[in-house]
Amino acid sequence: MDKLLANKNVVLTGCLRGIGKTTMEVFARNGANIFACAQYQDIDFENTIQKLSAENGIWIKPIYFDLSDIESIKTGMRMIISEKVQIDGLVNIAGMVYNGLFQMTSIEKMKEVFEIDFFSQMLITQYISKIMMKYKSGSIVNIASIAGIDGNPGQVAYSAAKAALIGSTKTISIELGQYGIRVNALAPGVILTDMTRALPEDKFNNLIKKAEIPRAGEPEEVAKVLLYLISDLSSYITGQIIRVDGGIG
Amino acid sequence: MTNINKYNESFITSLQVTGEQLTSLTYQSVEGWDSVGHMNLIAVLEEVFDIMMETDDIIDLSSYEKGKEILTTNYDIEF
Repeated sequence: MDKLLANKNVVLTGCLRGIGKTTMEVFARNGANIFACAQYQDIDFENTIQKLSAENGIWIKPIYFDLSDIESIKTGMRMIISEKVQIDGLVNIAGMVYNGLFQMTSIEKMKEVFEIDFFSQMLITQYISKIMMKYKSGSIVNIASIAGIDGNPGQVAYSAAKAALIGSTKTISIELGQYGIRVNALAPGVILTDMTRALPEDKFNNLIKKAEIPRAGEPEEVAKVLLYLISDLSSYITGQIIRVDGGIG
Repeated sequence: MTNINKYNESFITSLQVTGEQLTSLTYQSVEGWDSVGHMNLIAVLEEVFDIMMETDDIIDLSSYEKGKEILTTNYDIEF
């Protein structure tokens, strides 16, 4: 099978672990050059990057910034811009989960979650979409959540931030369509990552039971859909929210 | 072409205005300078001056004169 992302340059956030790390691996195997964004420098991460680059004949450049720090994000984005290369894809994966009932979630905590799960994605997208506008081409995918569509008890801040991400995905897709840029969101269900492992066991099991496919998803099952959405295979798909949840709900 | 000529030409072509209108031109003062026209103007300015403008500057560029100030101060473009 051809490499679906050969000669494409892609920005991925959240590459240290979970869905982000797996997506980086899948994209590398498919020929993408990658700006791999991560929160902090890590020796295992840098070893992985070197290995993936050598094995797949591509380049992967680590970009470090903290999603809770706007200036740090801007610095990271300016580093990418300074490379003066076309950007074909952006996947906003990095984020945080916060569990707390509505009456037990402070406004400060809600703002913190929105800062990381929504505003930082908007800032990154503003920078990267400007590059895409210049080339009149690109594909952006935001990682939302089924909680942002269906709601989920105990996740008011998280689900609201993801709902905001879904709303912005639809609007940005309308605004950027004229520039040849597609914007979609992917809404994972229960995927086996550190984030979902942090869920209380009974909540985790209850969520899995709701799925038509009664198990948690693997990060690679999300990464393959991202591969499709960033590749030209999905060239006529924009403004969509794709559930990858084994049939929950 | 001098920088001021490039700058003026960017406004004239992307906002469909005349050279005489330039000095008093402000955002939304003419039909062509709506939000869509604004983004077209930004794209042209970025292209001709080979820059990538920050979002704050895109928002602040509210007039012909203000644009010159932003390009000079933040992007080292001399007029």
